[in-house]
Parts: sequence; C-alpha cells; structure tokens
Amino acid sequence: MKARLFAAVMAMGMLGATAAAQAQIKIGAILSISGPGAAMGVGYKGAFDFFPKEIAGQKVEYIIRDDATDASTGYTIAQKMISEDHIDAFIGPSLTATDAAVAPLANQAHVPMIAMAPYEYDPTKQPYTFNDAQPLPLMVAEVFKYMQQHGVKTIGYIGFSDGWGDQVLAGTKQAAAADDMKILADERYARTDTSVEAQALKLISVHPQAIMMGNSATPAALPVVALRHLGYKGGIYGNHGIVSPAFIKVGGGAVSGVIADTSPLVVYTQLPDSNPIKAVASTFMKEYTAKFGPQSVNPFAGYSYDAMLLLQGAIPAALKVAKPGTEQFRRALRDALEKTHGLVGVSGVYDMSPTNHNGQDSRAAVLVEVKDGAWRAIQ
Amino acid sequence: MSRIAPPSGLVRPSAIAAAGVEAPPLPASGAGLRPGHGARSLRRCIAPLAAAALIALVPAILPAFYVTLLGYVGMATLVALGLVLLTGISGQTSFGQASFVGLAAYATTVLTKFVDAPPLAGLAAGLVLTGAVAWLLGLVTARLSGHFLALVSVAWGISFFALFGTIPQLHGFSGIGNIPPLRLGPLSAASPRVNLAVIWAAVAIVMAMSASLLDSRLGRAIRTLNGARLMGASVGIDTVRLSRTVFVIAALYAAIAGFLFAHFQRFVSPTPFSLGASIDYLFMVIIGGAGSLWGAPVGAALVVVLRDQFNDWIPRITGQAGDFESLVFALAVIVLLQRAPDGLLALLARFRRRSAPHIEPDAGAPPETPPAAAATPGEELLSLDAISRNFGGLAANRDVSFSVHAAEIVALIGPNGAGKTTLFNVISGVLPPDSGSIRLFGAAAKRLSPRRVAAMGLARTFQHVKLLPGRSVLENVALGAHLSGRAGLLRCMLRLDRAEEARLLSAARTQAERAGLGGMLHVPAGDLPLGQQRVVEIARALCVRPRLLLLDEPAAGLRLPEKQRLAALLRHLRAEGIGVLLVEHDMDFVMQLADRVVVMDFGQKIAEGPPDRVQSDPAVMEAYLGGVA
Amino acid sequence: MDWFVFLALLQDGITTGAIYLLLAIGLLIVFSVTRVIFVPQGDLLAFGTLTVAALQSGRLPGTLWLLDGVSVLALLASLFQGRRAAMRGLLAWGLYPAAVTAAALLLAPRELPAVSILLALAIVTPMGPLIWRFAFRPVAGASVLALLILSMALHFVLIGLGLVFFGPEEASAPPITDASFDLGSLNVSGQTLAVLASCGVLVLGLRWFFGATIHGKALRAAASDRLGARLVGIDAGATGALAFGLASFIAALAGVLIGAITPLSYDAGFDIGLKGFVAAIMGGLVSYPMAAAGAVLVGVLESLSSFWASAYREVIVFTLLIPVLVWLSLRSGSPEDRA
Repeated sequence: MKARLFAAVMAMGMLGATAAAQAQIKIGAILSISGPGAAMGVGYKGAFDFFPKEIAGQKVEYIIRDDATDASTGYTIAQKMISEDHIDAFIGPSLTATDAAVAPLANQAHVPMIAMAPYEYDPTKQPYTFNDAQPLPLMVAEVFKYMQQHGVKTIGYIGFSDGWGDQVLAGTKQAAAADDMKILADERYARTDTSVEAQALKLISVHPQAIMMGNSATPAALPVVALRHLGYKGGIYGNHGIVSPAFIKVGGGAVSGVIADTSPLVVYTQLPDSNPIKAVASTFMKEYTAKFGPQSVNPFAGYSYDAMLLLQGAIPAALKVAKPGTEQFRRALRDALEKTHGLVGVSGVYDMSPTNHNGQDSRAAVLVEVKDGAWRAIQ
Repeated sequence: MSRIAPPSGLVRPSAIAAAGVEAPPLPASGAGLRPGHGARSLRRCIAPLAAAALIALVPAILPAFYVTLLGYVGMATLVALGLVLLTGISGQTSFGQASFVGLAAYATTVLTKFVDAPPLAGLAAGLVLTGAVAWLLGLVTARLSGHFLALVSVAWGISFFALFGTIPQLHGFSGIGNIPPLRLGPLSAASPRVNLAVIWAAVAIVMAMSASLLDSRLGRAIRTLNGARLMGASVGIDTVRLSRTVFVIAALYAAIAGFLFAHFQRFVSPTPFSLGASIDYLFMVIIGGAGSLWGAPVGAALVVVLRDQFNDWIPRITGQAGDFESLVFALAVIVLLQRAPDGLLALLARFRRRSAPHIEPDAGAPPETPPAAAATPGEELLSLDAISRNFGGLAANRDVSFSVHAAEIVALIGPNGAGKTTLFNVISGVLPPDSGSIRLFGAAAKRLSPRRVAAMGLARTFQHVKLLPGRSVLENVALGAHLSGRAGLLRCMLRLDRAEEARLLSAARTQAERAGLGGMLHVPAGDLPLGQQRVVEIARALCVRPRLLLLDEPAAGLRLPEKQRLAALLRHLRAEGIGVLLVEHDMDFVMQLADRVVVMDFGQKIAEGPPDRVQSDPAVMEAYLGGVA
Repeated sequence: MDWFVFLALLQDGITTGAIYLLLAIGLLIVFSVTRVIFVPQGDLLAFGTLTVAALQSGRLPGTLWLLDGVSVLALLASLFQGRRAAMRGLLAWGLYPAAVTAAALLLAPRELPAVSILLALAIVTPMGPLIWRFAFRPVAGASVLALLILSMALHFVLIGLGLVFFGPEEASAPPITDASFDLGSLNVSGQTLAVLASCGVLVLGLRWFFGATIHGKALRAAASDRLGARLVGIDAGATGALAFGLASFIAALAGVLIGAITPLSYDAGFDIGLKGFVAAIMGGLVSYPMAAAGAVLVGVLESLSSFWASAYREVIVFTLLIPVLVWLSLRSGSPEDRA
C-alpha cells in the first residue's frame, strides 16, 4: 500500500518538474559508451563536440545516452527519449543490436532515425529508418574484389558469436559466391574472450589461403595475434569495423599487413584532391584532431558527423511545414531526408530514395592496409 | 486412560493453580473475540479495495514514461517477492533468479511469436518450463548449505545466460523483437497502460498469496528452514521437501515476471537475464529488507527509479556517461549491509509497534487434535540395546542399554561429556548409531529420520534452545502442532486454511497455558529469559501430542517456583500415560521426580535404578566426586 | 585433431590454468582467514594490467590517486586508535603511499618495463588491506553469505572505478621477455614460461612463508581456528589485512603477467576471477593441491571446449561446476543450524 502511494506521488512530482517545451529541436543519440563497444563509442561521441548549436535559426539540443553495448538498455532509453524527452530525431543507435531493437519503436512513434551501424532493414516497411553506415555487403564486396584480384580461392572465417558476426558472415557468403570462392571454416568467439588460440588452431588446420574476419574494435586484434603467433602466413582481411588506431595499438606488430576497407574519412589525407569528400573531411578533422590529437582519426566520428549533415540538410525544409516537437515536423523531416541528393559527407556521398535509405555507393569504401604502424590507403 | 482435555478454553490447569501461580484471566466465555477485532476486519477489507482502485486508476493518469517505469518496478517486485520468501524467510540465497525470468520470457516469446500461440499458452509454457527446471535444480540444492547453494546459483546463472546467448533460435544478443502483446480473446493489452494494470494486479495477487502463506502453518514451517532445520524436523516438518517447494515458488514468481516482461517490453535479449540482473534483484531485497514482503516493492521501486534518475543526472554532472549508477548503488548496498543489514524497512520498523498475529485463537471451539494413542500401563515405549556411537576416535556412546515405559519418568544423568546429548540425538533420529538397536513404540527404529520419529509420537527439546526468536511464543508453540494440520500449499496461499489454523492455534494456546506461558503468548520468543525459552520448547513438544518426551536439561535457568511448576507438569504428563526421558543436572529436581535414574559416564551406563539406590552407588559417587570420601 | 594442435591447446590451457591457480590461492588464503569469498580479486587483476599499461605509456594511473585518497582515510582512522596504531598508520598509510607516488612521478616518464611493473605491484597491492579495512572488517562477524553479497557489491564499485580511471579500451602489459623458442613443432613463448615460473616461485614462497615465518604461522592459526587464535593474542584485524594483502599482490602479479599475453579491459577481470574461483571451489575452498588440480582442469577444459564447441564454452565450464559443488557440499555435512 505505502509503496504504491509512494511511487505514485513521486511520479506526480516528477511530472510537475518536467521542463516546459521550448521551440527547439531535440536530437537523441544512443551510443555505446561503456561495455565492449565502448572503444567505438568514444569515436561516435567525440564528433558531437563539434556539432552546430543552431540550425536554420533554431536551437538544437543533443541528448546523448549510453546503451552499455546492450540492446535491452538501448531500447529502454529509446522509449524514454520518445515519450519523455520528445525528441525530433535519433542520431544512432551506434550498435547493430540496438538498431534492431529501436527501429520498430522509432517507426511506430514516427521518429526519424539515422542508424550508424550496419543494419539490415527494408525502407518500404520502415520508412523512418535511415542509415549512414555503409551497408555491409557493399564493404565486404570491395574487400573480396581485392582478394579475387590476388588469386584467393579459399578462405576461413572468424567472427563474433553475436549478430555482427552473423551479418559479416552473410555478406562474406554472398561475396564468396559471387567471386567463386569457398569458405572452409566458420569459427566464433565472444567479444569479451581473452583467448582464441583454439579457434585459430581450428582455422589453420583447414589451410585456407586467406582469413576473413567478422569482428570489430580492439577484440578484433586477438585472432590476428593468435593466428600469426601460430605461424599462419596467409592474408588476413577484415571489415571496416576494425579500422581504428586502437586495433593497431593493441595488436602491435602482429597486425601489420591486415587489409580492410574503411570510410574515406580515416585516410582523408591520402585522398586525391579531386575527391569532394576530402574537403569536408579536412574541415571536420581539423577541429577534431585539434581536440583529441592526431591519432584520434576514426570512422565512427564520421558516421555521427554525416548524420548531423543529413539532418542539417533536411531540417530547413521541415521547418517550413511545422514546428519542432510535433509529429508533422518529424514527418516532414523524414520526407526531406528521403529527398537528400548528392550530399557530400565524410563517409561517402549520399543519394537517398524511397527504396534506398543509405544512399552510398562505392565512393564510400577505401581499401586500407596496416603499414608502418598506421592504416594506409592502398593505391 | 483419562487425559486432561479441556472441553473449552476456560479450564485452568489445576496443577498450575496448585503451584500458586496465577494464570492470566481468559477472555469472556465462548466469544473468542478481542476488543478491536471488528475494527481490524474493516481495515482488512479496505486494503484490497484501495489496491484495486489504485491499479485501475493510476495507469490511466500517469505520463507515458512513468507507465513504463512502474511496469519495470512491478515486474521486479514479483521477482523480489520470490527472493524474500527464498532468502529472507527460508534462508536460501540465490544468485540465479534472473535465469528463471529469462526461461519464461523466452518460452512465451518462442510460442507466441514463432508458433502463433495465444499468450496464455506462453504463460503456461513458461510456468511449466521454469517450474520443471527449478524442481530439478531444487533436487540438487535442497540439501546444500549456505554459501555452497549461493555458488551453485552463480553457476547456473552464468550457464543459462550463456545458453540464451548461444542457442541460434533465440537470436543471441541481437534479441527478438515484435513480440505480440498480451491478449485474452478479444481483449488486448497492447496499450502499455492496460499492461501496467495487469502487472500490478499480478503483483497484488502474488503478494496476497505470499502473505497468506506466511501467516499459515506452512509459513511457520518455512521459517524453521532458516537456521532451525533440526528443530523443524523434530516436529515433523519435511525440511528438504519444503526447501524445494519454496525454491520452486520463488522460481515461479520469477517466471510470471518473465512472461509479463516479454509482452510488456515486446523485445527480449539475454542481457536482462544475466548474473548482473540477478545480483540487482538481490540488492533490491537487501535495500528493502529481506525479512518482510513489503521489502520487495520498496526495494524494487527504489532501485528501478533511482537507477533511472542516476542515468539522467550523472552524465549531466560528470559530463561522462558510464557505469556510475552501478557504482553508486553498490556503495549504497555496502553501507546498508554494514549499518542496517535488515534493510530499510527494518530501520523504519523500529519506530513502529510490533503487530500481533492476524488470527485469534478460537477460544470457543475445542481443540481438535488427534488424540494420542491410549497407552497401556507399563507398555515399553523405548528400548535401547547396546547402542554405540563414535566420532572419529571418540566413543561418545558405548554399549548403552535401557528402556523407558509409559507413565514413567526416567532421568539420564552424568558428568558433562558423558554422551547424554549424543544419545538423545541417536534416539531421535538425528544421528544413526554405529551399532546396537533401538525399538520405538514396539517397532525397529535404527535408521529413522527425526521427522518420522516425530510422526510416531516422540517429541524432544534441545540442549541449546532452538526457537524462532522473532516470532511470538504462541507461534513457536504452534510449530509443534505441525503434524496435526493438513492444509497444503494451495490451501494456505488461498486462505482456505483459516478454520484449521484457528484450531491449531487454540491447541497451541492450551499447551502454552499448561506450561505456564499464558501471560506471554504474544511476546517474541527471543525476548524471554533463557529458562522460559526452554519452557516454550516444552510446550512445543507437548503440541506434538507425544507418547514419549525427551527433555534435554529442561530445568536449566529456571527459578524455584518455575521448577516446581515444571515438576508438577511432568507429573501430570506421567499421569496421562506419557513416558518422559530427561537429562538434568539439578539433582534435587531429578531425585524428587524420577521413577528411575540412569547414570552415564564416558559414554557408558554405569548405574541404573530408583533414585535413592543410585544416589548411594559407589560407582556413581566415584564418577561425580572422584571417589568415596 | 592432431598432436600438434593438442599440444598447442594444452600449452594455452596450462598457461591460463596457472593464472587461475594464482587467483585460487589468493581466494583460499582470504577465505580461510576471514570467510570472505573475495570476488573482486579478478577486478584487482585487471587493475594490475591497466596500471602497468598506463605507466608504460608515461601516464599516471588513476589507481595511484585511489591509493592516495583511501590511504588518507585509513591514516585518519588510525590516528584515533591509540599511539601504536597511529605509528603503524603513519608508516603504512602515510609514508608508503607518499613514497610510491613520488617514485611514480619521477620514474613513470622513463617508461621502463621493470620499473612500471614494480610500481604497478606497489600501487595495487595495498588495495587489498584497504578493502579489508573499510569494507569487510566492520562486519567481520557476519555470515559467509552476507560477506559474499558484500563482495559482489564491491565488484561493481571496482568496475565503476575502473571505467573512470582507465576508460573502456583494452590495454596490454609489457612482456617480461619477448623470447620464444621451439619445442619440436610447438612454439613456446617466453612469457608463458615466465607465468609458470612465477607461479612456481610464488607457491614455494608461500609455503616457506606459512611454514617458517611467525606471520605466516599466525595466518595459519587464524585460518584454522579464529577464536583460538585471538585467545592467544593473534590480532584478527592484522591477519585479515595480511591475507587480503597477499591476495591483492597475487592478483596484481597475475594481471601483470597475463596482460602481456592478452589485452584486458576494465571489466575483463571478473571473468578471469570467476574461473579462478571455480578452481578454488574444486579444492573445496580448503585444499591447495586440489585447487591446483582444479585450476589446470578448468584451463585445459576451457581450451579444449573452445576448440570443439567455441560458442558453448562458458556453458560447459559453469555447468560442470554444479555437480562438483553438490559433491563438496554433501561431503561437508548436512546444513548447519545456527548455534
């Protein structure tokens, strides 16, 4: 009895304390700032420091919350952002699993969401979901193109034992079939594992010509170290999720020669001047590296930045239709996002359509290799 | 053989009157009502009505996010209620409750989403699956002690969590979304508000059932599981089976929460069912207080709401989002464990008066306990033949033989360490003898459990008093009447046992008054001086309606008038045909009371016979005094 | 699976088994003297790795400031407890942390592995006695269960602090040696040998300590009969502090050793601690040789199941724990009543 009264009274009190709505745009960001995905989360979050506080004359508030690399937590946060904070749009989530959890919510509540991790969805069924992370099949196909050019016919696969590992494997199978390659083994490990010797041994025992990895961030270094330690001499390839300085720092000398592809942002200094992305990236990175240091370049900050650019491009059109904080505004925002054409971001150039809410093409993928202790574009 | 069976609660045991001690005046004839009874029953009706009103109205007026928050509080309360029963009341710690939540959640998810079954089928599947797993685990854990049980629960907690994450059909850490909402025929609970009402209705029902359970005969029995199992067995409680029952109940509560969770959030992934979540539930119960059912909602509300608030405020203060609310919570728990180990409710309770038990003994109706089998005079109740028991190299009992008959008092005396309590433990089934044989009530009784022995008609008290110190004298005594009751789990939880309960309490009251405790029926047993606590044990033993009574130092700590009353009571029991075997050190008490005396020293019987003969036996004097002066 | 693979798995399993053994020893020491099941020991292991990694990159680790901060509290507390306690307090909680801090300030920028390792050990080891002093000693008489719950709570505190001090990223410890050599077709790394050697030295050292020194004997006395030990004048508080100190030293050492083989993040220690704990349980929480056997068993089992059924590894290791626990519990007798 008392407990229920207590809870109800407290609830009323908090209701009264909710700030009155202001004419300002609220953007909610669900990022993985703690937990195993935190190394990426740092990058995603860092970009927010350079976002405009005002767009088209309206104040913008960014509400950043941590999903602790967990979909359930992210889901709860999303519910709160929608019904409590009354956000106008989502930037993120930055974790594939959280994307899967939040997308139905966002679509139901008619809140545009710019996912920032590779996530499979159907734009016709989920019209409010957008994505600025390069589609996984696209990125994997670029890596496989390179492999095929170098005569690789058999591969072994090692990836996370969760959704990401599954996704990359699906892309791998697709690309392998297209390029006529065989997958000889499929090994998995948990993000938090401290040893993958056994899995590495298993892979080596089937003698693949190359190894494709379906992992990300620093735990991705583990299999590389293990494989090299056990004497594997073939090529090791990864997806764009591994391209970060932390990967090289943790992996040390063993990861030299690993090949992956990544956003143009990561190697922006090595892009040709004719590439329009270089200019945008340079502007962003000048501020970013000034604050976080020259080693801090990473693709994840780029996704956040591109999401902001997309919204910045769409908000003026939406403002003509309705005020922020209303459903009409969100709907107009969605429509404007869908009409984005030729927007130059730092992860690619965006051309949206009702059937394509990613909008990227092969300009979004640059092949890179670990050389001399850093990621270098392969010319 | 006649026995003193008061036709109504009005007769004062004449023995006590003879000892010159006044028993307290009993209430006016027949009515069995105390002043304020009417007021109390009115209050009791208000509670459910108010609860129903709140459940119907509050969800309708709260803002949307608080609906979600209260939903989480409600579901957590369900799990915490199970933990209160399991950990607080019956003393079994579990770090694995979240696994049961997960089992049910996934069960209903699989059925309703992949097989298109109605949600009720999901609930049934969840309950059955969780109940079966808990029952199996309970087979293993019911015999485990203290921290081993906790560690096993950690093991299965991690195991199930890993399983949830790896079984491919459960989609691992990506989770399963778009779970259908609750519906019952055409009625749908797709709206979170309706869902919230359902959740809290479930909480109210489960809480009422738990309260009824704790208020009943089984509730008393459950309390003995927490550090007084031996005593429980001695009054006939099947402690192992009861432990398992409580364990399964707690798992089923968690399963209900899991079912509701799946259809409320409509998204499941393994993380809410991890070891961290289990620890969270335990924290809720610690913060709220594990000893009382109200600790569950209070603890759940505090933890859920505060966590949410921390999640909001701490990033604003520190500029960093992170694991801070876990840190703060953990610190709070540590401080609580150090300063207020019984939780917040207990802290507050110190400022409230303790309330009396809810049932008044029905002083009007005769106590309907099954009569003890009429004993024929001289019937041999107990016969020991060459009993030996060793502990490593120590021979605690060596070749001990004697017997006890109906309507006689046998005293067992000897210096400390002579093996008397060990002998008691052997007789009452706590320890098996290494060799020799026992006949109890004419039947061979070497390998019987204490519970079985109690059912046959043997009751005992303990050298180190074993009571439930927080419960009243009346409830402690009523424990002895456990075997006289038949109400099972369901009847207790649905409050269908009230008539039987009234009879049990009435019988307990009779025995308590007989033993001279009439004036302190509602005092917490732990508040009594040690000597009186022993008397409580005797009254409890009497409730068993024994044919043979084993008393271990019953007079220790009693003042002279109390000893006289005790002696009178024992003489009364002898007159009823009960056989009494007692261990005592007070020679005056023994010699005036006993028909026969058996003397033990160093595990062996060194003398037996009428008191005066034994007193002058040279072997006895040697044992006590080291030789004839 | 061929012989080479099996040997490689065995090497991996034995190396991790050695770490689990170290942790099991620490757990056993603490449990036998104080009845605390020291769950946060794994977190102290992670602290060890992260502290030495921070020092190696020329930064001062957050654990240093934690040590300083809590030492001040301990110092203040000891000042109110009489002259002898105050003198001891000044030495242990005043002079020592000051010396360590000064050393860190001076030497950390040099980024010398040996110095970083010693400093890391010096910083993390006192955390044990401090945890004892402030978390467990006030409730030293509580039941094993209450102490276990307290332990769990403490784990969350350390995790939270770890995230604040070190951030979410993983870090590696500098290897003791980069050497490696071939044993037939098997490549054995020098670090593995270092781990095994340290384990051996520690075990022998502890045996000498418990057998030949007065402090060690006092610990054993307190472990076997707490009341009796107190009656003969052995200070329960001091033995508790010593036990925790040994455990945290072992954890820090293990962290420094394993951190060179596997990069660890702030929350990776718990898992490792848990497995060390499994090993200790196999020894019934009383027997060192059984715990050693258990540790190797867990390590090898983990390695082999990674190979055969990598996804179900955790399930296998922890499910197997249940029958062991049941067997142990039944062996130790029926549930005890409270006296």
